[in-house]
Amino acid sequence: MTRVLGWLAALALLAGLGMAFAVAPREATQGTVQRIMYVHVPSVWVAYCAFVVVFVASIAYLATRAEAADRLAHASAEVGVLFTGLTIATGSIWGKPTWGTWWTWDARLTSVAVLFVMYVGYLLLRGMIDEGERAARYAAVLGVVAALNIPLVHFSVLWWRTLHQPPSLMKPGPSSMPPVIVRALLVNFAAFALLYLYFVAKRVRLLRLEGEAGA
Amino acid sequence: MGDNWGFVLAAYALAAIVLTGYWRHLVRRERELNAPVAGHPPGAPPRQQ
Amino acid sequence: MIFARRAWSVVWKDLLVERRSKETLNALAFFSLLLLFVFQFALGPDRERLAAALPGLLWLGFVLAGLLGLGRTFVLERENDCWEGLILAPGDKSAIYVGKLAANVTLMLVVEGLILLLFAVFFNVDLAPALTGLALVMILGTVGLAAVGTLFAAMTAQVRARELLFPVLLLPVQVPVLLGTVKATEAVLLGEPLGAVGHWLGLLAAADVIYIVTGLLTFDFLLES
Repeated sequence: MTRVLGWLAALALLAGLGMAFAVAPREATQGTVQRIMYVHVPSVWVAYCAFVVVFVASIAYLATRAEAADRLAHASAEVGVLFTGLTIATGSIWGKPTWGTWWTWDARLTSVAVLFVMYVGYLLLRGMIDEGERAARYAAVLGVVAALNIPLVHFSVLWWRTLHQPPSLMKPGPSSMPPVIVRALLVNFAAFALLYLYFVAKRVRLLRLEGEAGA
Repeated sequence: MGDNWGFVLAAYALAAIVLTGYWRHLVRRERELNAPVAGHPPGAPPRQQ
Repeated sequence: MIFARRAWSVVWKDLLVERRSKETLNALAFFSLLLLFVFQFALGPDRERLAAALPGLLWLGFVLAGLLGLGRTFVLERENDCWEGLILAPGDKSAIYVGKLAANVTLMLVVEGLILLLFAVFFNVDLAPALTGLALVMILGTVGLAAVGTLFAAMTAQVRARELLFPVLLLPVQVPVLLGTVKATEAVLLGEPLGAVGHWLGLLAAADVIYIVTGLLTFDFLLES
């Protein structure tokens, strides 16, 4: 089952690469660099989805105390951090030629960076507690707080960056995207989502094995 | 405007390295945990499920 | 009613212990004085640079003092082996959360008032005209900081490397509160009306409500087993 998911993800990623490099046209204003968008944007979407999964699974754990829910939250947080890191790294590589700098405190970059440190903290907390049941309980509370904090982070960072100094820099991505680009983005998003599912499935199984080995 | 292929390549290569790195980490860890207990030589083929 | 009485007994106990020993308060007062020294050394005597950085510095001081103070929320219970007492407390544990939160907010507001006074004296800034606006921002920000801080203090109280983990968990979550308070303080100190930062005050209030409700609903889970 997991293996099938893995192959599907691999195929979808290949299709995504095809869409990004062969089908999608060279973007007029930014040139080829814009093709970074097809890894950057899908991975941030997947990361947000992953943290929503952490939120739901955390609540499910607190309500039912099912270990499966806790394993799902743990796996999803880890994979989410992976994709958030990837987003930041690719965004940085994209920023260098377009903005002329590896990093600006742009609203979206900043909120993704805050998300990244928040969920790295989540994983750190899990690592610091040895008893599985307590780690699950504490992490679930943190998972809920962190997820509820996401909209607050989003709005505060947006206002912080835009209210006093309007963005003078070029925003990544064209303002109105032609349908070809949207299609390429969606194919890549589907591929990344499949990859996310595959990773989470594998990580959940691994966590179960680790639990059995520890018990 | 230059096409900056280098940056595009770097981004995709980085993504490939990070994702396959994580995948290999998962696979290796799973093989370790699935490996038969003590006494088995390292590098033994993983037990098929 | 019973809930309020239970919460009150925690507040009363914590504040009484603090009033008798003044352990945390004394250390935090001294710490704030030291912070002022450090800020002065870092920025030099240039008054204009200081004025520009004042809102940020002020909140940096509040947050650093808050990290130290909030991290000690459950130190009494832990050191005196009273953690089981908290766990065994009958009924709704969220009353304990409310009590601890109220005690923390009180303590932090006292320390923040002190830091404010020290800033006014040592850096020669006239805070008097902005005082009401400043007080509002401080209360909103402190409640948000303490609401998450109290929850996380309970979370890290029984964990390895808690002194390290507590700020590492708290700081990222506090980004919205920090941005909001610094921006609002900046406007208030410039003499702008509170209406100009209404959206920030709204965000802070929303954050306070979200944090407190989450704390009330989840605190029970931290004090189990």
